[in-house]
Amino acid sequence: MQTILSVGIDAALITLVLALAAFGLAIIYGLVGVINLGHGAMLTLGAYFTWYCINLGIPFFLAIIFAALAVGLVGLIFEHLVIRHFYNQPFETLLLTWGFFLISTEVVKIVFGTSFRNVPSPFPFAIDIGIYELPAYRTFVAGVAVLLLLGTAYVFLKTPIGIIIRAMIQNREMASLLGLNISAAYKLVFTFGSAIAGLAGGLIAPMLSIDPYIGNVFLVRSFFVVIVGGIGQLLGGTLLGSFFIGGTETILALFSSQVVAQVAVFFIAIIILRFRPQGLLRAR
Amino acid sequence: MTFTLRNEPRQPSIFAQVVRGELCVAVVVFALLGLIPLFISGYVIYVLPQYFLFGMLAMSLGLLWGSAGIVSFGQAAFFAIGGYAMGVIMQAGLGEGAGYVGIISGIAASGLVALIAGYFLFSAGVKADYFVLVTLALSIIVEQMAVSQSEVTGGWNGMFVDRMSLWLGPIGTISLYDDAAIYYFILPTLAVVYFALSALKRSRFGKILVGVRENEDRMSALGYNVAFYKTAVFTISGALAGFAGALYATHSNFVSPSLAGVLFSTEVVVWVAIGGRLSLFGALAGGVLVAALSNFLSSISPQYWQLALGFIFILVIVFFKGGLAGAFTNISERTAYRSLQESGNG
Repeated sequence: MQTILSVGIDAALITLVLALAAFGLAIIYGLVGVINLGHGAMLTLGAYFTWYCINLGIPFFLAIIFAALAVGLVGLIFEHLVIRHFYNQPFETLLLTWGFFLISTEVVKIVFGTSFRNVPSPFPFAIDIGIYELPAYRTFVAGVAVLLLLGTAYVFLKTPIGIIIRAMIQNREMASLLGLNISAAYKLVFTFGSAIAGLAGGLIAPMLSIDPYIGNVFLVRSFFVVIVGGIGQLLGGTLLGSFFIGGTETILALFSSQVVAQVAVFFIAIIILRFRPQGLLRAR
Repeated sequence: MTFTLRNEPRQPSIFAQVVRGELCVAVVVFALLGLIPLFISGYVIYVLPQYFLFGMLAMSLGLLWGSAGIVSFGQAAFFAIGGYAMGVIMQAGLGEGAGYVGIISGIAASGLVALIAGYFLFSAGVKADYFVLVTLALSIIVEQMAVSQSEVTGGWNGMFVDRMSLWLGPIGTISLYDDAAIYYFILPTLAVVYFALSALKRSRFGKILVGVRENEDRMSALGYNVAFYKTAVFTISGALAGFAGALYATHSNFVSPSLAGVLFSTEVVVWVAIGGRLSLFGALAGGVLVAALSNFLSSISPQYWQLALGFIFILVIVFFKGGLAGAFTNISERTAYRSLQESGNG
């Protein structure tokens, strides 16, 4: 019983952290249709900006906000210079965002060096809830993930800007004929997705050692999350996909090695892709 | 993705001229490369075959990208599978013919993986961008397996692979331990692969692939089994990458997990994008030249060179979709067209 409970809590935490890491990607892919292969690089940038700010003596919570804003700005510049000209050629944007990854990774290496960096955890303790010791920081990050998902859902469903964006997804031409500023909405979505990736990078930083390739670990997993969950299913899809990918990996890792678990998840994701290419949540 | 069809019926002779032009250039280049060991020796002769094999790897992607419009970020995975297969066979102590067995198992193993992955994805009608992601994941998986299965692969330390020799049955055995000897084995192999692939591109199969690239729905409406053709070309491409990997392993005497890694995988995409995605020779030249340049400039300033490569990659995609080869083809097409017009007027 105790094991089941602890595995359950573990899986829930992993799911939410993974959902946080994948969310920026899900936003950009789901709303403006750009497969952002630079997503991993944006996570890395967020982590490094956080590390840098903390080294300057800025408190952790300001540091992650700064990281989110900085990565959002980088995303905005990249969108303005390159991506906005290619929204009607999705495959080219995929290659271009890969170029972004190449450049960003090298800049990180040049500016911050290649050695491992550590961000001290702001909550380096565990909360004892009687039967299980909750790692405080992971719980905090999971809470942020929940708030972020709910907040975005609220903006998306209830506010005017959310309505514009939904109109834009449904029918881009019609929306622009109705006088909505589509290019500004695209820019906003891309910037927001980048900022979320930066925030996620900053929040993940204390859980791992940072190196210039840290984002790559999450890049492919995030994609599987989005693909398995279903594109455009921001809330449910991201959660379901994360639960599926993160949960399966946790449970399999109990019985075998980490690598075997990852390989198995990869195959399961491919099989899902084979039989439900539109994702688990999207109706046929 | 829309590319203009090069073989529009309006001007077939120009297309033929360009293709013939490319083949002529290739013949001259291969002949010149064949002369190099007569004048130079040492490191250049050791390292050139490595670049040739990178060029072969680039062609495996060039075939896929240029004719079928499919991009794979997993070519390095097949390269590494071929290399490890070669290594395992060479260690098994099969005697003189081991090199052949190694090459064949390298081709078979990587071709099989490509066949399975390709069948699964293409028969489901998976989009080109998903395909990129799955192949990217494939290269990560192969890298991790190479690291974790250290009893077989040597883990991070890599694996020693003996130089193969050419066993000619009763006639004898040609040792390839000499750098010039293996140079003269790999260069003709590269030439054969190049001409075979250009024949394949010009064949009916190649034309069907171009049709699939241009308009998949129309091709399936015409009764072509699109999934079959895509799977077939991906299998050929994977097998070719495995072949290059097997030769690379035995040439450099060493395989390591980074051969399968994401970075190397995407380097291949950069080579082909810069060389020219629509031209086989462009891909080959991109692989050889960019790899050689990378190696040279990395010794001077690794990070700034990689950074520059990233910028070049973006610039090529934004401004010169055809890459270097596309730029040349444009010029030669224009001059050919002009001369046609002039002869028509005169």
